[in-house]
Amino acid sequence: MSAEAAAHGAGGEASASMLDQVHHALNIWGFHDPVTITGLGQLNLKTIVMTWVVMLLVILFTVSATRSMKVDRPSKLQLMVEELFQFLRGLVNDNLDPKKGASIMVLVFSLFIFLLFSNLWGLVPSMMSPTADVNTTLGMAIMVFVLTILLGIKFKGAGYFKHFVQPFVFFLPLVIVEEIAKPITLAFRLYGNIYAGEVLIAVLLGLIPLGATIFGGFIASVIWLGFSIFVGFIQAFIFTMLTIAYTSQAVEEAEH
Amino acid sequence: MGSVVQALGLNATLVAQIFNFLILLVFLRLVVYPPIVKILEQRQEAIQGNVAAAQEERKQAEELRQQYLGDMQKAKEEANEVIQKATKAAEDESRSIIDAAKQEADRIKESALQDIEREKEKAVSELREQVASLSILVASKVVDEKITADVQRDLINDFIKEAGDLPC
Repeated sequence: MSAEAAAHGAGGEASASMLDQVHHALNIWGFHDPVTITGLGQLNLKTIVMTWVVMLLVILFTVSATRSMKVDRPSKLQLMVEELFQFLRGLVNDNLDPKKGASIMVLVFSLFIFLLFSNLWGLVPSMMSPTADVNTTLGMAIMVFVLTILLGIKFKGAGYFKHFVQPFVFFLPLVIVEEIAKPITLAFRLYGNIYAGEVLIAVLLGLIPLGATIFGGFIASVIWLGFSIFVGFIQAFIFTMLTIAYTSQAVEEAEH
Repeated sequence: MGSVVQALGLNATLVAQIFNFLILLVFLRLVVYPPIVKILEQRQEAIQGNVAAAQEERKQAEELRQQYLGDMQKAKEEANEVIQKATKAAEDESRSIIDAAKQEADRIKESALQDIEREKEKAVSELREQVASLSILVASKVVDEKITADVQRDLINDFIKEAGDLPC
């Protein structure tokens, strides 16, 4: 394959084939085609399998943390989950009336843990973040978007639609664009960050030859992996935070 | 729209991912969420209980302190009273002792004066006797045979009388 790339001689093609090579070398689980056609339509099989793995990890982590919880002598896992929960509850209560906030608390908690595990899972060699697929992020963004509308209607009734035509009817198209931009930016921010992280991991592996990797070339990869962990946390936090903010916008009375 | 979907690689995975996440959400809601909420509530209750107990204890301690302060004040007053009483009693006692001593002293002085008086009279009478006999002796030596004993005694008696009238 590299010989073929060299024959073409174009820089872009060379780097693409180099990435292909890395992906091919890392593909030890047998997901050859990116898209598989099944009875349910076209599916990205690798994404779905990785999602299942991440779901399993989330379930394992949270269940093992919440079994045999103690008030006076909490275990380390229990403390981690408790702190996470309280941190998220603090965020929700900062932005929302606590009574309304309780209704999205489960969603926020699940969303953050799932996204965090998803983002970090791609850093394990040969694995892939479910969030490095635009289908996942867009799906979740649309879900959040629909949920905010539903919550808005639930708490405000028909009054929810009033903000589309405020302060003038003239603003209707602008508000619609703004509303649609919300899920799209939400989805592509997360997707871009995580996918770029994975691509750069592969690029670093492909760019630095094996000999150089052993003699210090791994440092670049290590730095990038560390930064990716940071980005994983930040992006999960941003997605969760924006979910809270959008819900708050939809649910709370407008302040005039 | 179709070309956008094609370019982004959107397909049925999107729906499947929503479905997956909803399954995870329901699972977490049913299995993980209740114990976390329960344990946090229990912890909050425990903390509130502790705080309330601490406040109660502080109140009790304050009451105890006031009580002790009052008791101490009372004890001090009682002690003062006792001391004053004792001082007064001691003063009375000393005064009575002094009075008794004074009376005793007066009595002793009185009796001593009487003794002195008595002794003086006794001494004076003795002296008189002795002066008389000495005078007789002296006179008998001086006059010898020239005067009779009767005349001599008269002379001496006169003399003594004169001497007796002198203040001695």
